[in-house]
Amino acid sequence: MTNTRIAIASALAAALVLPVAVQAQGNTEKCYGISKAGKNDCQTATSSCAGTSKKDAQTDAWLSVPKGACEKIVGGSLASKK
Amino acid sequence: MPLALPDLQAAFAAHVANDVAGGDRADLAAAVVGDTISAEARLRVYRHHVAHSLSAALAATFPTVQALVGEGFFRGLAQSFVAEALPAQPVLAEYGADFPAFVGAYEPGRALPYLADIARLDWALNVAFHSPKGRRLAAADLAGIAAERLPSLSVALSAGAALIRSRYPIHRIWHASQPDTSANTVDLDAGQADLLVLRRSDDAAFIVLDAGEVAFMVSLAAGTSLEVAAGQAASAEPAFDLSAAFARLLSLEAFAALQ
Amino acid sequence: MAQVAGIGLRAPHLAEIARDRPATGCLEIHAENYLGASPARQAIERLRESYVFSVHAVGLSLGSADGLDADHLARVAALVKRLEPAYVSDHLSWSVHGGRYFNDLLPLPYTEEALDVVVRNVGRLQEALGRQVSIENPSCYLAFAHSTLTEPEFLAELARRSGCGLLLDINNIVVTAHNLRLDPRNWLSGLPDEAITEYHLAGHAVNDCDGEPMLIDDHGSRVGPEAWTLFDTALRRYGVRPTLIEWDTDIPALSVLLDEAAKADRAIRSASPDAARAA
Repeated sequence: MTNTRIAIASALAAALVLPVAVQAQGNTEKCYGISKAGKNDCQTATSSCAGTSKKDAQTDAWLSVPKGACEKIVGGSLASKK
Repeated sequence: MPLALPDLQAAFAAHVANDVAGGDRADLAAAVVGDTISAEARLRVYRHHVAHSLSAALAATFPTVQALVGEGFFRGLAQSFVAEALPAQPVLAEYGADFPAFVGAYEPGRALPYLADIARLDWALNVAFHSPKGRRLAAADLAGIAAERLPSLSVALSAGAALIRSRYPIHRIWHASQPDTSANTVDLDAGQADLLVLRRSDDAAFIVLDAGEVAFMVSLAAGTSLEVAAGQAASAEPAFDLSAAFARLLSLEAFAALQ
Repeated sequence: MAQVAGIGLRAPHLAEIARDRPATGCLEIHAENYLGASPARQAIERLRESYVFSVHAVGLSLGSADGLDADHLARVAALVKRLEPAYVSDHLSWSVHGGRYFNDLLPLPYTEEALDVVVRNVGRLQEALGRQVSIENPSCYLAFAHSTLTEPEFLAELARRSGCGLLLDINNIVVTAHNLRLDPRNWLSGLPDEAITEYHLAGHAVNDCDGEPMLIDDHGSRVGPEAWTLFDTALRRYGVRPTLIEWDTDIPALSVLLDEAAKADRAIRSASPDAARAA
């Protein structure tokens, strides 16, 4: 075995006996719990869309400007990409 | 001669999908009873619902994208995607694999260059959530293996795990987009982000990896041995601490049990 | 008396139900939300010891002339095998064509041709599951001019030929009858009572359509007065069956759903005291 390989072997073996660091979980972002939305349902329509209007919602929404949390995102890359 | 059922369903499908060809066939409207509410208006109820309900399903799969751009813009984005690619099967949690690429190419979203990466993160979390837990590799599983054999082992990422790499600080952007966030602004120039998405016991989650860890995981995900992965990590980050990183990743159950 | 009415289980309530295990007649899940091995499905599996389950599919597309999607059928069958629910159901509608899924309960013409298709598809489903399934009447916004059967005639004949059960969605009867200018009591009058296995109750919205109201089945509010009246009619005519409150849009607190279920139980008690006691 090369010295590097021996060093890797002992580093890996040492990992197996390291106490499980509490901080290892510390920066984990919990994202989807069991209350995450189910997506399939059996509603036939929602009142906001189910109008019979000839205009499809898409036509005007397409032109709208993003308006949400993106307003918090600032910085040079934003300007340079425009 | 009334439309035979296969023809009727083909015409109805083209109508609700708003297909360019065959989307408004006169023989379909003629097959529908109209009265003070016309046949066409009745058919439109279904067309609108298809577009609206599928864009609502995408909003549930890509909540961070929606939070960033707002409901109105998201509806336009999602309905443009729906018009291009309806689901191929009925499980809506499995619809939207191509949405991140669509977001990246969506002209009205060009001012938000990080949006496609956020969509990839949302999708990876969704996939992780719906993945089987599977058996995970624990330190104890390796304890019986002689130390000199460990470097040649290949370990696979656990079921549902994914690496999401972005040139933007998407973990901070994700934070700033949460409904209950206290984050104020995020500087896009704060640097890139390398995230590991994981299916955990009761949820899906992500963690931020440092340069050495991500090189280690990318290498392992490509099927290399721990030795090769450790070499890649050391090249990417000279201060890479193999023991600490491997212990941390094991404790996160980031690897699948050995076959 | 034991509770007869239950609720559609929706994801926002899952953690609360798992923690508090509130008393209710039955929990119904949508099959398509639990085909993946998610923590949500694990949570459902842990609830099996406390509740009677109903698996309600929304995507089998039983009205498709092209037949059933074998992959989806196999996945639903695997879930049913896993959960062993008391009831399994889907709708009298179609939602798949040419490899595209529309996520809507699209209407069928009520003809002999369509009846043959649905009988064949329901037969295949029942064979794959090894059990009876129930078929639900959809909300309709249009009728086809070439239909030769009424919807209840079609359902009755479907039940007779396939041996399936019938899930009567009371709100869907109200919605369909209003939109298609039918009499809801008349709709309800001629069904084979031995085939009826379950009732569904839900709220609907009223939309403007060419200046006229159209009822929209949005499952977004409390059960309306017409549906309660028609539920009473159904109970008196066909008797008590397991009953579910469905709510899919603007989902309220769990207590609101349980309150609607309790109201359904009161209706059941008052319409049929003996049957309610036996249930």
